[in-house]
Amino acid sequence: MEHALILGVILFTAGLMTVITKRNAIMVLIGIELMLNAANLNLIVFNQNSPGLSGRFFALFVIVVAVCEAAVGLAIVLRVYKYYQTSEPDQINELKD
Amino acid sequence: MSLLTLYVFECLAGVAALSILFVRNVFHAALLLIVCLISLAGVFVIYNAEFIAVTQILVYAGGVLVLIIFGIMLSSRLAGKPLQVKSQYVLPASLIGIFSATSLIQLFYKQQFFQQPVAKAGNPITQTGIALMSDFVLPFEVVGLLLLIALLGAAVTASSFYTKKQ
Amino acid sequence: MPNPSTLENLLALVLILPLLSAVVSFVIPQRYSWVASITSSIFLVACAIVSFVLFFSDGNVFINAHWFSISTTELNFSLVLDSSSRLMIIVVSVVSLLVHVYSTGYMAYDPKLTRYFGMLGFFTFSMLGIVLSNQLILTFMFWELMGFSSYLLIGHWMEKPAAAKAAHKAFLFNRIGDAFMLVGILIIFVHQSIPIDSFWLTTGVLCIFCGIIGKSAQLPLSFWLPDAMEGPTPVSALLHAATMVAAGVFLLIRISSLLTETALIVIAITGISTAVFGALCALNQFDIKKILAYSTISQLGLMITAIGLGAKDAALLHLFTHAFFKAGLFLASGSVIHALSHQTTDQNKVDIQDIRNLGGLRKKLPITFIVFCITAASLSGIPLFSGFLSKDSILTAAWTLPNPSAQWIFSLLIALVSFITVLYSYRMIRFVFFGKESTLTIHEAPSVMRVPMIICAIASCWFIVSFNPIHVSGWFYTMFAEAETNFVAAGLSTVTVFIALIVATLLYSKQASAKSITFFQNGFGVDSFYQKTIGPAVLALASGATKTDKKVLDGILHFVAYAHVSFAHGIAWFDQYIIDGVVDTSGRVVKWIGSITRSFQAGKIQLYIFWAVTGLIIFLFFALI
Repeated sequence: MEHALILGVILFTAGLMTVITKRNAIMVLIGIELMLNAANLNLIVFNQNSPGLSGRFFALFVIVVAVCEAAVGLAIVLRVYKYYQTSEPDQINELKD
Repeated sequence: MSLLTLYVFECLAGVAALSILFVRNVFHAALLLIVCLISLAGVFVIYNAEFIAVTQILVYAGGVLVLIIFGIMLSSRLAGKPLQVKSQYVLPASLIGIFSATSLIQLFYKQQFFQQPVAKAGNPITQTGIALMSDFVLPFEVVGLLLLIALLGAAVTASSFYTKKQ
Repeated sequence: MPNPSTLENLLALVLILPLLSAVVSFVIPQRYSWVASITSSIFLVACAIVSFVLFFSDGNVFINAHWFSISTTELNFSLVLDSSSRLMIIVVSVVSLLVHVYSTGYMAYDPKLTRYFGMLGFFTFSMLGIVLSNQLILTFMFWELMGFSSYLLIGHWMEKPAAAKAAHKAFLFNRIGDAFMLVGILIIFVHQSIPIDSFWLTTGVLCIFCGIIGKSAQLPLSFWLPDAMEGPTPVSALLHAATMVAAGVFLLIRISSLLTETALIVIAITGISTAVFGALCALNQFDIKKILAYSTISQLGLMITAIGLGAKDAALLHLFTHAFFKAGLFLASGSVIHALSHQTTDQNKVDIQDIRNLGGLRKKLPITFIVFCITAASLSGIPLFSGFLSKDSILTAAWTLPNPSAQWIFSLLIALVSFITVLYSYRMIRFVFFGKESTLTIHEAPSVMRVPMIICAIASCWFIVSFNPIHVSGWFYTMFAEAETNFVAAGLSTVTVFIALIVATLLYSKQASAKSITFFQNGFGVDSFYQKTIGPAVLALASGATKTDKKVLDGILHFVAYAHVSFAHGIAWFDQYIIDGVVDTSGRVVKWIGSITRSFQAGKIQLYIFWAVTGLIIFLFFALI
């Protein structure tokens, strides 16, 4: 048992709870980053025991995708913030009805 | 020595990640995220993934965090007050967290998928470069395209050009 | 001789003609009211002619028409013409005709002439209905119609308070009797289908007799008749002497087959006490019409007595003779009043009906004087006049009673009544026509008034009834074989009458013997006794009933209403809170469930994530275990 896996669990849980509890879109993005990093960590750790390099490349791609997500997500946050004058995700519920 | 460093980095990352849960200020949260990511980069180095670690530092510390801090600045400017983030659904989220953590840890304990580490021959950086340009060239290109599209989309979404026109 | 169907038509005609007269009189406009007096007289002439035709026909005539039916019991509109009703239609139509003709003169220039003649015609119609009716319920109907027309005729001069009051009094007194009468008729009506025992028969007959007491002014209920003299004098002649008051006697004759022993005794005692009472009161009156009224009460009492003694033919004979001589007396007194009524405008408020204010009219009103004398003689029962014969037959009935004590008591009392009758008749003539002559300029009545008076006077003579002046032997004898004359009784009555004449001459020879006993003058004080006791008692009863109605019945009603209202409030509360509550609660429950379900789709992204993760964990949990 690798203790790094426990770190991954901690990171994932922390990210998940951040996503659910924080009433700010940027904090939600931060939580998502945390969760992605937990996945990265797991990929790196498991790659240690496999002969190929696919785990590391996946981690790399995940980082890139995370960047893309962060960029697009922050752009959307700003846009929403301008339009609704709030960054609370729960208040943006126009599609409810 | 290596193991001690690993522990230090791991503790730093875990504490930083958990602290994010308890801070009120978004900016502090972003800084704690930086701490967490750099610590993770350290962990990656110890796990023989130097290139990933460098990329992590470059991309996250240099790109994502700058983006986040810009986002914080822009949204706090609009609100006109310090960003004090409140929490909601604390109890259900805690329950969810505890459940998920315990079940994941239990899952990892039950599985026996760890043999001894496989020794990798050669220079890892070189191997990575060769693999990127041979075996993983298609994902590489696709990710590059994705990155381009995403950045363009982000720029278009965030710009006020179309909004003013309308 | 007409055939039976013609007779039936004539019978219907005799009933319809007076009604036609009434209708025509009411239709005639007020401006031409004098026409009514002529048309109604013509109708009554026709009626009288038809009556005579019917009188001289043979056999009983019946008319039966279906009237209505109550379940299986059929009620027929049935009329009968038998020997007694033959006699009565003659009396009614002839006296009515005489009164109509007389009224033409007496009531001339009256402002309500059409109403007067209309009601006279209507009265004649209802009286003929009673006479001809062959069925008690039909009789009762005509009886009530007659009471109604009597009420209107007594109150003809309703602007006079006394007249209005007298009309009310007559109506109320008759109501008392009629209420009993209806009960009695219904008892007898039941008796027709189911035979009932003699107790109920007696009760029923006596109840009917109560109605007769009211209508014929017998003793407990006689006080309306003197007051009814406030009406026009021809009305008094027709209604309160000849026909209406005699209707009771006639009805009693009609139901005589139902009379039981007990009923006969009660009837006889009532009759004789009324006769004595009326005679005593008449002797002490000063008003000329009231003397005649009390005299009528007395004579009706004699008729009732005769029925009570079982001599209904004697009663019928007296009814017949009395109708004419009393009508003649009333018409003659009406003539006196009429002659003097022109003087009242000159002199201030002299009561022209008070015999003390009259006197010496013998020279000025010769025809009236003669008529008055003849009819009064007939009333007194002087031989050679019709009254003698009829009284004689009543006395005979008393004289031939099997029970000796009853025989003597009744004979003596009837003799006493005849005795007093002679006294007050003499007194009346003495005061009105003799004595000091008044200086007034008086003229005799017009011929339309004289002729009826003369006819009445002629009808008061013996030859109308019998060719033998002291024994009933003429057509009446052949029609009613039972009316016999006993020579002892005839002798007794003759002696009584002549003694009475002598006594009267001695008593009233002097001028100023106008004394009277107030006790008798006021009708034994019974009337005032009624007014002092029964009036307040009835008023107290009425106010008590009002209070009961207001307090108890209204209270119960209000209580019930309040109970309803509060019950309704309770139901409203139940409806509002329980039933609506159940409905609302179910609605709220549904809404609550809906809102819970809705909250999953509340547009809250973090909640979506929470639930998604929860689901994931549940899958994970099952995967692990």
